[in-house]
Amino acid sequence: MNRTSIIGLVIIALAIGAIVSMYGDASTYENFEVAKENPGKEYHIVGVLNREKEKYYDPQKDANYFTFYLIDEKGIESKVVYHNPEPADFDRSEKIVIVGSMEGEQFEASKILLKCPSKYTDNQVKT
Amino acid sequence: MESVTFIGEHLFWGNLGHTAVVVSFISSILAFISYFFAEKNPLDQSWSKLAKYAFQLHSLAVLTIIGALFKIIYSHYFEYHYAWQHSSRDLPVHFMISCFWEGQEGSFLLWIFWQMVIGQILLRSAKSWLNPVMAVLMLSQIALTSMLLGVKIISYKLGSSPFELLRNVMSNAPIFQQADYLSKVKDGNGLNPLLQNYWMVIHPPTLFFGFATTVVPFAYAIAALWRRDYSEWLKPALPWALISSMVLGAGIIMGGFWAYESLSFGGYWAWDPVENASLVPWLILIAGIHVMIIHKSTGNSYIVAVILIITTFLLVLYATFLTRSGILGNSSVHSFTDLGMSGQLLVFLLFFVVMAVALIVWRWKEMPRSAKDEEIYTREFWMFIGSLVLVISSFQITLTTSIPVFNKMFSANMAPPADVISHYNKWQMPMAIIIGVLTAVAHLLKYKKNGPEGLKRMGIYAAISLVLTIALYFGFELKNFIYAGLLFAGVFGIVANFMLLLPFLRGKIKLAGASVAHVGFGLLLIGVLVSSANKEVISINDSGKPINPEASSKENVENIYLERNTPHKMGDYIITYVKDSQHWVNTYYQVNYQKLDADGNVDYTFNLYPNGQINPKMGLVANPDTKHYFSHDVFTYVSSVPSNKGEAKFINEKRHEVGVGDTIFTNNGYAILKGVNSNTEAEKIDVNNFQVLLGAELKVYTLSKEYDAMPMYGVQNNAATSYEALVDEAKLKFRFIGVNPQNQKVTILSYEQDMSGDFVIMKAIVFPWINLVWAGTIIMIVGFFLSIIKRMGDLK
Repeated sequence: MNRTSIIGLVIIALAIGAIVSMYGDASTYENFEVAKENPGKEYHIVGVLNREKEKYYDPQKDANYFTFYLIDEKGIESKVVYHNPEPADFDRSEKIVIVGSMEGEQFEASKILLKCPSKYTDNQVKT
Repeated sequence: MESVTFIGEHLFWGNLGHTAVVVSFISSILAFISYFFAEKNPLDQSWSKLAKYAFQLHSLAVLTIIGALFKIIYSHYFEYHYAWQHSSRDLPVHFMISCFWEGQEGSFLLWIFWQMVIGQILLRSAKSWLNPVMAVLMLSQIALTSMLLGVKIISYKLGSSPFELLRNVMSNAPIFQQADYLSKVKDGNGLNPLLQNYWMVIHPPTLFFGFATTVVPFAYAIAALWRRDYSEWLKPALPWALISSMVLGAGIIMGGFWAYESLSFGGYWAWDPVENASLVPWLILIAGIHVMIIHKSTGNSYIVAVILIITTFLLVLYATFLTRSGILGNSSVHSFTDLGMSGQLLVFLLFFVVMAVALIVWRWKEMPRSAKDEEIYTREFWMFIGSLVLVISSFQITLTTSIPVFNKMFSANMAPPADVISHYNKWQMPMAIIIGVLTAVAHLLKYKKNGPEGLKRMGIYAAISLVLTIALYFGFELKNFIYAGLLFAGVFGIVANFMLLLPFLRGKIKLAGASVAHVGFGLLLIGVLVSSANKEVISINDSGKPINPEASSKENVENIYLERNTPHKMGDYIITYVKDSQHWVNTYYQVNYQKLDADGNVDYTFNLYPNGQINPKMGLVANPDTKHYFSHDVFTYVSSVPSNKGEAKFINEKRHEVGVGDTIFTNNGYAILKGVNSNTEAEKIDVNNFQVLLGAELKVYTLSKEYDAMPMYGVQNNAATSYEALVDEAKLKFRFIGVNPQNQKVTILSYEQDMSGDFVIMKAIVFPWINLVWAGTIIMIVGFFLSIIKRMGDLK
């Protein structure tokens, strides 16, 4: 086997490795049901804030403790705990993506992505 | 709908701009056709003449579009959607320039502008390659100007015009039934506060100039395939490729610096899809430049060079598609809006992909190739391996970044890795190690043939680097052996390239561009390694306060609660939130840092002013403030502030019966009654109305300062009144409520301000040796610059 073929094979192996690693590390968009069945496993969950129930953030007690209730796309609700301050503009969000895993009865979010009504582009003329 | 004549609109500028867009589109088509036939019929001069006129008309039209759009933004013509959406009356002029490219239309316009400028340069420099290269450039220009058309063809809207009127965009709103609607649109939406930063004035033009220049090497490669002239194009294309990599590299790092200086991400790189989308074309371009140089020096690897140069431009188009079609959706923190152009963007991308692939396949057999395997002990072999590693590295980044695309194609529900950083790092770190080592190995070897002395030199430098690495590993307090590998790669690259550089230092530095760039790259590697491996969040909550019972043991408690004027120990620092102040729309929170030495004494102090804009649309938009030291940065931002501060509330009422010379004690300080006067010259009180008016002269002492205060007591129509005195900075309030003539004492009430509502939540990070990142980048760019000068010299 000549050198070019060896290099080619190594590259193909690495490329396959990259694909496998992408599949292996990729999280999935799931709902709370799946997350509850697999506690500790990290998922992305898309949902909306339950505005009926109270969200909790009292920085004087603990600046790194924020909880709220999220209803996922299947309509299942769960308490979500986020060990960071309440994100700015949280109330305005129309869609919330949380990344994390189920720990007991609550979802421990490590990341929160807010999808606001396209932020600077809501077409409402103020008069 | 009945027609209404609207009052106060400035329709001229919009019509001018829109006409200019149409002219620029049609003239780019005309220029393309003319350049195409000029290439086909080299003897017929009329085509190239026509092409030149069409291109000059096109350039004029592009400048007109920019002028009209700027006029609209600058004059606050809010009847135009673009001005209304992206600007407001209170913006300073330099931010109006940022408004220009906040919207997608504006950033396409910026790209069009740069490609036009590049076309003007080519017109003067491309000589025999002018016709085919310009033809390719005009193809790209046709595609870009079509993005601004905003014309409906049958039912498909082609492009999105920046000159659209507000009343047409929102034609259903009842306000637009009124002829004088404009008088009611008082102000625009304003510029996104994240972009109100001077880096946002220069980062986008730089990045887009980088993107725009990638079309030139691409155009030369395509032209070469078209002409079947496989050798001459490399010489003029190489300086362009170097310019492109220099500017694109500078643009990317400026974006990182902007993110570091003004976003609360806490770093300069986050493997965000948008960042990746600009990094990957740069990596492939760097690989392409190396293979081009291999081919120039040895005649090998022609096909790979062509493929890489072509891929660079295609990846720029892919990046455009990713960031502008809205497909990234939930996976990026950048919020790009979808203008409904994803179809058009996809056609744009696929057109160029198909054209390039077809040409390569068509000419495949003709392209020059070398017959024999390359020798292992040569520079070209290891340069080639290094380029391949860059390709693998880009492939891996592209793959994970494209997860949303795969979802769309295969209707899967994959999400990006939960821990994105470690996912990328576990691939990119070994790649970086190999590349770092290869920058030394390849450079120490010669082209074609090497004797044993080269290997000996390599061994010596490697040994020196190993010793340095061990010393630095402990010096930087690194704690992981893979870091030792990366550190060695950086050090070896610096040592070898620096030694190669030495002979050139006296006057011939121009020839050493490659060595300079690689020294910079080595420094960059070390800087990235140390600043991220030893990055330390110092705002860990160690207040001893009862932590919420539900708090888990997870270690992401990285924010600290700071009550105003209450010092707090944080790592080696004592920090105090001193006060806030308002400048323009931003609130600055002064945080005082006192650095403690090993004995617990104050070593030095400094203030940081992280700011926040309480934006009506986006809530708190926090901007960090950073203290730069030679060896580290202290980075601070407020992550939350009380939502409504409102009126100051006073609590802790205490009653004091005091005579002259007595002391009043409070929690915030103490006050001494210096005297009681009756000749009070009160400003806001009509003194003559009082039967009695007394003032208590108080001297108020806090830890650091003293103040005067005079609460007053008066009798008016036989009723007692009292006037309080506020000592704002000491957070104290006094009231004088009574006099006891028998024992010569007065009654004073003291109050302390309720500080529980006055706080900030803050995060602080120390980045060690982050200056190496910036220094490495600057040296690398200088290296590119030297190489460009040298390669341009070769053209003559």
